[in-house]
Amino acid sequence: MPRRTACVVAAAVALAILGAPARAHLSFGAEYDSNQPVTVTGVVIRIEWTNPHSFLHIDVAEPGGGKASWKFEGYPPNALSRTGWKRDVTIKAGDTVTVSGWRARLGGTLAHSREVTFADGSKLFFGPPAGTGDGGATPAVKVP
Amino acid sequence: MRTTFFVAFVVASSIAIEGQAPAALPRGADGKPDLSGVWQPSSRRPGKWEDANNGLGVGGTGKDPGAPPSLGSQQVITDPAPYQPWAAARVLESYNKRGIDDPAALCLPLGVPRLVLVSLFPIEIVQTPQKVVFLYEYMNVFRSIPIGGSHPPDVVPTYLGDSVGRWEGNTLVVDVVGFNDKTWLTGTGTFHSEALHVVERYTRVSKDQIDYEALIEDPKVLTRPWTIRTTMMLREGTRVQEYVCAENNQDPAQYERLLKEGVGFRR
Repeated sequence: MPRRTACVVAAAVALAILGAPARAHLSFGAEYDSNQPVTVTGVVIRIEWTNPHSFLHIDVAEPGGGKASWKFEGYPPNALSRTGWKRDVTIKAGDTVTVSGWRARLGGTLAHSREVTFADGSKLFFGPPAGTGDGGATPAVKVP
Repeated sequence: MRTTFFVAFVVASSIAIEGQAPAALPRGADGKPDLSGVWQPSSRRPGKWEDANNGLGVGGTGKDPGAPPSLGSQQVITDPAPYQPWAAARVLESYNKRGIDDPAALCLPLGVPRLVLVSLFPIEIVQTPQKVVFLYEYMNVFRSIPIGGSHPPDVVPTYLGDSVGRWEGNTLVVDVVGFNDKTWLTGTGTFHSEALHVVERYTRVSKDQIDYEALIEDPKVLTRPWTIRTTMMLREGTRVQEYVCAENNQDPAQYERLLKEGVGFRR
């Protein structure tokens, strides 16, 4: 196993044991299903740089023609800025990006975003890991 | 007496010089440790924000996948919350509902000490000899805490309560009462009553680090006082910014739909 992959796996295991760190307020785990990962490539329509969370809208070409409009929920603007995003610079309407995340339990083309890959291959996180905010691996009280 | 102080000073100075020569603890005009600065709560890593948050956790850039994430309340709290059995059942119900009943999901302020457990947002401390002001980016709330004095007799219950500070040696001690019952103490579901009393202790142990401890008392829901501890790390160059939560909060509507449409989301 390459060293980098081993590190990622080790970190993922540590996270699973320790629970979601530094949870934000919203329960991504209630709204989005960590068992339904999704990755789509499409054209950026717009980004809502809003609190408490931002939304990335992209249009994805459908196999039989036409397009599906996907909406990805992610970090608030302040957190995006601290993780390296620059409004109107990092991506603009018309850019092609690949977004990975987890689908909404309600179905449709709503999802919680994690990573965005740009045309040049570079990547930035647009949202937190799966399950953030849903209480983590163990409750605050001992289960009788 | 004077000589004793002088000798003690010389010995202390020698120790500091022989060791790693740590940066001097900043102090105010009154000689008290100065807590002023922008801090990241629930982190243990020193350095600028971008360097200390390069792991895979919430708010991390992932540039170093092996880097440790910031601390979450489960990592900070090793002692399970000592709830009375009926209250523990209520906490567990929130957990099983994955926290959709979180007051913060309605853009309400986090309570005390939960404010110090969310590392995604910085906290600025501004200190004078007369008061210490905490400016929280998350929900853009503040606490202006007088040093000395006592709680007013007619405190009206609020989200952040009524705080009074005092110095015990190098530690800022903040006594907080007058809470409403609409916030959570720490993690998912950790509710409390209006009888809540929190004693916070902030000790700047180095230029980079404040050790934080909260003694939590609520005889109506807990079986005994409960202590939690975490650390806050200095983030030079970071500024506390605007955060208007109510701007575009779509999540409560999504939770409503989950419940209305009977979508399985419970644990």
